[in-house]
Amino acid sequence: MSYEKDSIHEQEGVSVHTGFPNPAADARLRSLDLNQLLINHTASTYFFRVRGSEWEDIGIFDGDIAIIDRALDASKSDMVLWYDNGPDQFKISALRDLPPDAIVRGVITATIHQYRKVTRHE
Amino acid sequence: MSKIYALVDCNNFFVSCERVFRPDLEGKPVAVLSSNDGCVVARSNETKAAGIPMGAPAFKYKEIFEKHKIVRFSANFELYGDISKRITSLLTSITPRIEVYSVDESFLDITNLPIEDYEAWAREVRAHILRYVGVPVSIGIAHSKTLAKLAAEIPKKYEGYKGAFSFVNLAPERRQAALQALPVQDVWGVGWRLAPKLRAEGIGNAYSLANMRPQRAQQLMGIQGRKMVSELNDVACFGLTPEHEAAKSIMRSRTFGEDTNQLHVLEAAIATLGSQAAFKLRREELLARRIGIFANTNRHKPGYKRWVHEIRLDMPSNDSGVIISKLINDLDEVFSGNHPYHRLGVFLYDFVPEASLQTDLLGKVDPDSHERSQSRMQAIDVINNRWGRGKIRYAAEDLSKLWQPKHQIRSPRYVSNWNELPEAFIS
Repeated sequence: MSYEKDSIHEQEGVSVHTGFPNPAADARLRSLDLNQLLINHTASTYFFRVRGSEWEDIGIFDGDIAIIDRALDASKSDMVLWYDNGPDQFKISALRDLPPDAIVRGVITATIHQYRKVTRHE
Repeated sequence: MSKIYALVDCNNFFVSCERVFRPDLEGKPVAVLSSNDGCVVARSNETKAAGIPMGAPAFKYKEIFEKHKIVRFSANFELYGDISKRITSLLTSITPRIEVYSVDESFLDITNLPIEDYEAWAREVRAHILRYVGVPVSIGIAHSKTLAKLAAEIPKKYEGYKGAFSFVNLAPERRQAALQALPVQDVWGVGWRLAPKLRAEGIGNAYSLANMRPQRAQQLMGIQGRKMVSELNDVACFGLTPEHEAAKSIMRSRTFGEDTNQLHVLEAAIATLGSQAAFKLRREELLARRIGIFANTNRHKPGYKRWVHEIRLDMPSNDSGVIISKLINDLDEVFSGNHPYHRLGVFLYDFVPEASLQTDLLGKVDPDSHERSQSRMQAIDVINNRWGRGKIRYAAEDLSKLWQPKHQIRSPRYVSNWNELPEAFIS
């Protein structure tokens, strides 16, 4: 792979600034990435839509997105995704409130509450 | 040191993917149907037990479906593709020496991994995938790929093996018993065509195939048969196939939403499929010397008919315009008569590298017209890459929805559409 700076050197009559290196010239420089912030394991992370308004006082609303990681072991302050064969399929609860027959399917690592929909023109 | 291969095979993969988001279907009969012609493409164990064969046309088995309350899904390939990618990424973190053999099977070369007990190791891998992704797998381990694939069949039949079976370091009498319990058609490469031939020779299981004389195997099944016998005896003839091999042919086909005999619908389909195939060809930097179309009526209705039409190009091409117009020019000849066409496909083959055009084909080519065609195709590809496939198309390319496959009973796109996420209820 050729480096951009080299090609400038090769052009005659072009002066090259040789002071501080340009950090943007490092191709590996990465901009902030929400995946990196929010996702521990891509293979074990699934997104769920939160249903119910019982948790509004702790800032979780109906329609929010819950990020669930199946790889993590739940510890006592965690909220978890679980399932008990009931009609509602998947439920979320604080770990300490789980019924004894619950099958835990992952830990909630974050919830996303969007104030405005993203509109992209791509 | 001889190689050691593991085959990781997802159990009833499409059904298992559906169950990740429908745990209530665990232990219940489930079938996945191909999205267009309604054939069974995956069955849960309960569905197999009910007597539904693989590939069965759904309408023929309506009564059994109803009687056993078999839950049916139309294939949700976005879901299966995503889950497959997750499993591949977990396996790649175990070893980069991996061959993704199909959407639900991967071979790993584990020769150099520090493993003491292969079955215990495989059960850990299985538990890891089940925990992270939610899909159960079977793992077979052996000194050849053929034996590894066979080994993976054993835990599917006998639950006691807990998802893993290894032929490596297996005592001879246990090895013999295991091979004898496997019918010959389970051996990779035997299948339904060769199995009757072998049974006629008195070879009904994998053990007797392993003990077949190599010369006889070659007479009966060609060189592949000889290799098959070697592989069953721990002599590896096949290594991992590298990720990418140049395509030998490209085919694009679709089933019409409703059977049709309308020429303009056929033309539109050919244009769309032709430009998809040509796009793939350009990406591989190849040119086709032969192109063609095929079509058939519904296989499950009386009067089934099939047509194939092939065209030899005077000048090899990967130009969508050239390929589409050649195919459409001959359309009247191919589609004579008033038949209800069910499926249509475009194929390209007999490839030469784009680069070879300048050398061995030089005499025949009008270099100017080739150049013009190349730059037009590049412009189209750049635009389609940037703005999404299909933004620039040939006028005949189809805009109607008539021949798009039906998806009536497809599950939500849980992992590929923000509007179809699974729901979790606060409790």
